[in-house]
Amino acid sequence: MNEKTLVTSKLVCVALNDRAQLAALESSFNEAPYHKPPTQPVLYYKPRNTWSLNGAEIEWAKAFDGNDVPAMVVGASLGVVIGKETCRVSQQDALDYVGGYTVVADYSLPEQSYYRPDIKGKCLDGSAPVGPEIVAADKITNPDALSVTLSVNGEQKSRFALSGMQRGVAELISTLSYIMTLQPGEIIAVGFAGDRVAVGKGDRVDAAIDGIGILSNTLGGA
Amino acid sequence: MRHARIILDGRELDIDISADDRITTTEGEVLEVALDSDALTWLPPVKAPGTIFALGLNYADHATELAFEAPKEPLIFIKHANTLTGHKQPSYRPDNIEFQHYECELVAVIGKTGKNIRREDALEYVAGYTVCNDFAIRDYLENYYRPNLRVKSRDSLLPMGPWIVDAADLPNVNDLRLTTAVNGKITQDGSTRDMIFDVPFLIEYLSNIMTLNPGDMIATGTPHGVVDLQPGDRVICTIEDVCALETEIVSEQAYYGEKY
Repeated sequence: MNEKTLVTSKLVCVALNDRAQLAALESSFNEAPYHKPPTQPVLYYKPRNTWSLNGAEIEWAKAFDGNDVPAMVVGASLGVVIGKETCRVSQQDALDYVGGYTVVADYSLPEQSYYRPDIKGKCLDGSAPVGPEIVAADKITNPDALSVTLSVNGEQKSRFALSGMQRGVAELISTLSYIMTLQPGEIIAVGFAGDRVAVGKGDRVDAAIDGIGILSNTLGGA
Repeated sequence: MRHARIILDGRELDIDISADDRITTTEGEVLEVALDSDALTWLPPVKAPGTIFALGLNYADHATELAFEAPKEPLIFIKHANTLTGHKQPSYRPDNIEFQHYECELVAVIGKTGKNIRREDALEYVAGYTVCNDFAIRDYLENYYRPNLRVKSRDSLLPMGPWIVDAADLPNVNDLRLTTAVNGKITQDGSTRDMIFDVPFLIEYLSNIMTLNPGDMIATGTPHGVVDLQPGDRVICTIEDVCALETEIVSEQAYYGEKY
């Protein structure tokens, strides 16, 4: 377990929250095995073995045969840090429960299907760096107005304006709080650009949000 | 030896339970109280819960019951400590649903850190075994990361315990009778021998992906025979030689009280 982390007890991520991605996938989401587009936030966990920090090296994953996997990808999200126990709160009140904001990166294997939980692709050791720090909630007036950029070796590869999220921060906090009681220090990664960014061994990745900071990590295996 | 966590007279205690049901705190204090006493409040037995892995469709007959072919690779999903509750504690039925069912499961509790563990060495990493009831709300299933968090990550819907039995006291967990009774009537009757992916396989599989740590748990899936439950129902999940876990179903309003 990685003791060096800004996460307390839980990191829950929201997939398929990019409105443009949902539109692009709509026809395939009307076919098997999905049959209809999601009606609820699509959620997954990055468990405690994945939690890591700004500056940490990201291990290049190995396949079951012991060889290096052929490809890895990264997504970045605003991380909403819960400030106090959050149980069944309304969308109107939800932002009052935020303690701060940070940046979450999710390194994973390329995702072929959203049908089953992706344990193989998303639970790699150290694959969820969070940081560089937690910025107090009162420093951010409107979290849905932020943009997340991803750069690889200094070149910007992705920019996601959170105004393009299917569900905003307050709605997600409220919906989640009716599924599970959230505790202080737990983090919600609220949305990733639909297209994850390919990375290679030795690459330096910067995930940045203006006003929050730059989360920098380097891929191992070089 | 069995191990549990309880509240007694306002004190939270880690206890050991001997073969003749005598209770001793880990500090050595003998407690003059019976195991079935109402004075005991049972807490989830893992003191520092880590990642909870749960198996779907891991018994061939249950996979058939849910109209699925038996999987070629384990279907694993993750749960967190918000779902845990103890023996003889309430679990809630959400309002306005049609079908909530229990899932009586053998749980392997990880006792030491490991990565790339071989199947033949896997049981060295198990501290002990307990029982859980991995409730599901079928109305909330959607075909995205199925079974999705709305189905499987709800507060109170993973009762566990009452205790952990040391792995050394259970040399063969692959042939244990597993039953569930609702209001005294047996509704599920299976055996861990019908598990598709057994504990050593699952430890090898998971540790090929990630590091397992003490306090992580693997809930190994449930056999055929699930029925709907209503507030007021009393569910007892029993695995032979491990323990019997009792849960009372309450309404969402009763569970959340003033937060409802």
